[in-house]
Amino acid sequence: MKNESPPRWFDSLLDKLAPPSLAEEIKGDLYEIFCDDLSTKGITRSKLNYIFNGLGFLTKSFFWKKHSSHLNNTIMLNSYFKMARRSLQAYKSNTVINILGLVIGIASALVIFSVIRYELSFDSFHSDADKIYRMVRVSGTNMTILESSECRTGVSFPVPNALREESSALTKITAVLYNGDALIEVPDKSGAITRRFQENSTALVEPSFFSIFDFKNTNFKWYEGSPKTSLEKPFSIVLTKSASAKYFPDGNAMGMTLKIDKKFDCTITGIIEDFPSNCDFPFTVLISYSSLNAANSRMMSDWYSVDDTNYTFVVPAPGLTVDEVQKDIARVHASHTPKDLHESRYYLLQPLSEMHFDPRFGTFGGRTITRQTLLALGIVALFLLLTGSINYINLATAQSTMRSKEIGLRKVMGSNRKNLMVQFLTETFLVVLMAGVFALGLSELLLFRFQSLLNIKPETFYFADPVVLMALSIIIIFVTLFAGIYPSFLISKFNPVTALKNRFTTETVGGFSLRKVLVVAQFTITQMLVIGTFVVVAQMNFFQTTEIGFVHDAIINISVPERDPVKRETMSQQLKAQPFVSDVSLSFSLPGGVNRNRSYQDIRRTDAKTRDDIKVFEFHSIDPSFLDLYKIKLLAGRNFTSLDSAPYILINKSLMNNLQLGTPEAAVGSSLHVNENKYMVIGVIDDFYSNSLKSSVDNMAMVMDPNMFRKVSIKLALQDGSSLPDAVEKIKKIWTTTYPDYIFDYQFLDENIKAFYEQEQKYAQLFQLFSFIFLLIGCLGLFGLITFVVNRKGKEIAVRKVLGASVSGLLFMFSKEYVKLILISFVLAIPVTYYVVNNWLSNFSHHIELQWWLFVSPGFIVLLIAILVVCAKSIGAANRNPVDSLKCE
Amino acid sequence: MSRVYLGELEELVLLMVALLNDEAYGVTITKELEKQANREISISAAHSVLHRLEEKGFVKSKMGGASDERGGRRKRLFKITAYGRQTLEDLQSTRNTIWSLMTKTSPS
Repeated sequence: MKNESPPRWFDSLLDKLAPPSLAEEIKGDLYEIFCDDLSTKGITRSKLNYIFNGLGFLTKSFFWKKHSSHLNNTIMLNSYFKMARRSLQAYKSNTVINILGLVIGIASALVIFSVIRYELSFDSFHSDADKIYRMVRVSGTNMTILESSECRTGVSFPVPNALREESSALTKITAVLYNGDALIEVPDKSGAITRRFQENSTALVEPSFFSIFDFKNTNFKWYEGSPKTSLEKPFSIVLTKSASAKYFPDGNAMGMTLKIDKKFDCTITGIIEDFPSNCDFPFTVLISYSSLNAANSRMMSDWYSVDDTNYTFVVPAPGLTVDEVQKDIARVHASHTPKDLHESRYYLLQPLSEMHFDPRFGTFGGRTITRQTLLALGIVALFLLLTGSINYINLATAQSTMRSKEIGLRKVMGSNRKNLMVQFLTETFLVVLMAGVFALGLSELLLFRFQSLLNIKPETFYFADPVVLMALSIIIIFVTLFAGIYPSFLISKFNPVTALKNRFTTETVGGFSLRKVLVVAQFTITQMLVIGTFVVVAQMNFFQTTEIGFVHDAIINISVPERDPVKRETMSQQLKAQPFVSDVSLSFSLPGGVNRNRSYQDIRRTDAKTRDDIKVFEFHSIDPSFLDLYKIKLLAGRNFTSLDSAPYILINKSLMNNLQLGTPEAAVGSSLHVNENKYMVIGVIDDFYSNSLKSSVDNMAMVMDPNMFRKVSIKLALQDGSSLPDAVEKIKKIWTTTYPDYIFDYQFLDENIKAFYEQEQKYAQLFQLFSFIFLLIGCLGLFGLITFVVNRKGKEIAVRKVLGASVSGLLFMFSKEYVKLILISFVLAIPVTYYVVNNWLSNFSHHIELQWWLFVSPGFIVLLIAILVVCAKSIGAANRNPVDSLKCE
Repeated sequence: MSRVYLGELEELVLLMVALLNDEAYGVTITKELEKQANREISISAAHSVLHRLEEKGFVKSKMGGASDERGGRRKRLFKITAYGRQTLEDLQSTRNTIWSLMTKTSPS
């Protein structure tokens, strides 16, 4: 019989459309019917029937459903996990290297995630957070912030009240004055002082503060008192829970009286929960803002003076743009102030959400972090994950040649490509999951260890925090896919016949060039960080070793809390008499350091005409021994003597130049006006860095006004046998007998100056930490790769040795490859790093020059470490007796 | 009794599977159905029903041996499960009960 087979084209159509598991039975059944038909009906009819019946299947839903074969899925899943476990066990060293690299990467990424999350959460929890603005002050000629504008945070004292009365553009206004240090005394019932505390975060706040900042999504609450009434009356005080526990350990704080700065008696009218750590209001003692008016009413109507810690927060009326509100504020300001003030000073609005991230303006917390820094941290985290994943990819692809028999056999036994990929991804997932679990614990440890470096409170991180767990799961999935897809793709591609014959060598497996690319990428990132570390550390060294124009070692500073000249002089004499003291000086402030008083005044020549001739300078008061003690150079003229009583003044070189007084010699003897007082210049001193080296030298002038003396500088000259703690103890004793009502506090000047560079110091540490981590992960990867190569090339080494290769020659052969890759990565890293560090250095007015060795030596170090890793592993192989590798085939 | 839904055609096919015992697959089931119940259904409909029955757990299947009349292709052989048989019996007894009630109450 001819033509008795069903139409072929239809069979192949069914093959294409039908799920593989169903095609056989369907075609079988159709064929059977076809054969039946053939015996009763004609051939054409049978064929038509065949097609018709077949088409019937296309209309059935089961035909189109995804059929994951008829095997039991859970069994298969179990098998995936079992196989994964076995192969992870079989290649233990690789597994350990992979997990280690990933643990470090994931843990660091989690830490960075927590830091970023913490920083972004600052003051985001108030219910009106997106509507609150801070008023900022910009001095310039325009209502916009330009490069040249001076950006400050303070608002003149009468402004908030004037706005409340005269502007309809704002629905809520609150003024906050951060007072900082205060001496707080706890009197008993008879009024005698029982306890004294130095408090450093007091603030004056209005009741409206809590209507704007409600701390809604935190556990903030009022234990006693209420936000509306507690801060209304002058000299009311609200304590945080921890402050109240400190002052009144036995409880019962409500209604008690506290004496502030020996002047003001304040009644405690409320107890609140401590402010959360992620807010820029680090207050512990809140005093009613109305106290300010009661204590100093003149200040409250002074539109000129500004205290930069007097902030104002506002909520604009709905529907108004920021621009409209700013114009309305300018209108009110203009109606109260003369032209020269309101045309050079503008109050602008800054969204609360920007407060923590805009370094041009400060915060009460004293710390801002730019969004660029957070972004950079995020990129570092991403790189950490990538470099961990790269290790995995490299090792897995290298390993795949060892597994070619396994893969080949699996394929022969009927495993398809999808199974193999799932199998391999499961392996990856297991590795990443294990790494993730370890990383969670490690990140907690890291956060705890580096909390001060990261400016983070450890309680902000919890194992069980759903957000952290979510982040971890996302990281695990991301890393699994990133690290697993390519190797699984590669492995499943193997041709079973070639795989079984074990014909693969490292050269023929695809992906070897990719491995090179990945190693280069990894080491480029590492090189960038290491070079960055070198530059940051060099800059820090520069900060600390540069001559700043005065000596600052072995100097202790203590304060003068009272104006009484007798007490001051007696104390000074007593201190001088101590054997360990070489000199004592009294002054208004210190020559440098973070914690010091500053007072600025206007100065002009007697012939000044325009506003431009008036210069702002830092007004200082010193005694005759000040210049000697600090070894400040006198360029011309003379120092003060204790006999001087006339209005004499010393100026520094910058001020001299800015006032165009000519040479130092010429400047001596000229007259200057400070406000309305006339002074005669008796000497010119050399510039010294009262600010950090990040900024330039200020104009400075010094008078000898004992009334302004606030600080004592003690130059120590410790002989053998006298210890520093003893010296401090003796100084404390002298001080407390002079001022028994105050709390002794002292500071070393060099530490005070070091504090200028705290942020840079942190950067330096972070850089060191991150380059170490990257180097570690990179070297782990190298170690794994070289282990693999050494194992594979055992025979090659043996043959080479037999033919006369030396050990050093073999080592050279092994390292050659990696030296090349690392050199390439070095070349790639240079331009990017050069651009970035150059940018960073230009932030400082005094910085190091970028020199070639700052780039070459880190590159050399990385190279050296890499060669060491490679050699350490390959030296064993190179030394092995060739017979051992060659004897078995 | 759990709510098992067994359609009319499903019930018939299930009965056929039970009836054919070891020889139940697409073609034999359609043939048997035509013979026993005079119902003509397409082969694709039979497959569809068998899939549903398998999903519901009334039948189980395995691939049987190849034979020449199928061009060397294997067939999927279905077998009723204990659960399937139980369901059929339950249905039967429910019907019997209802019928017996009908003869009692309605005057014929």
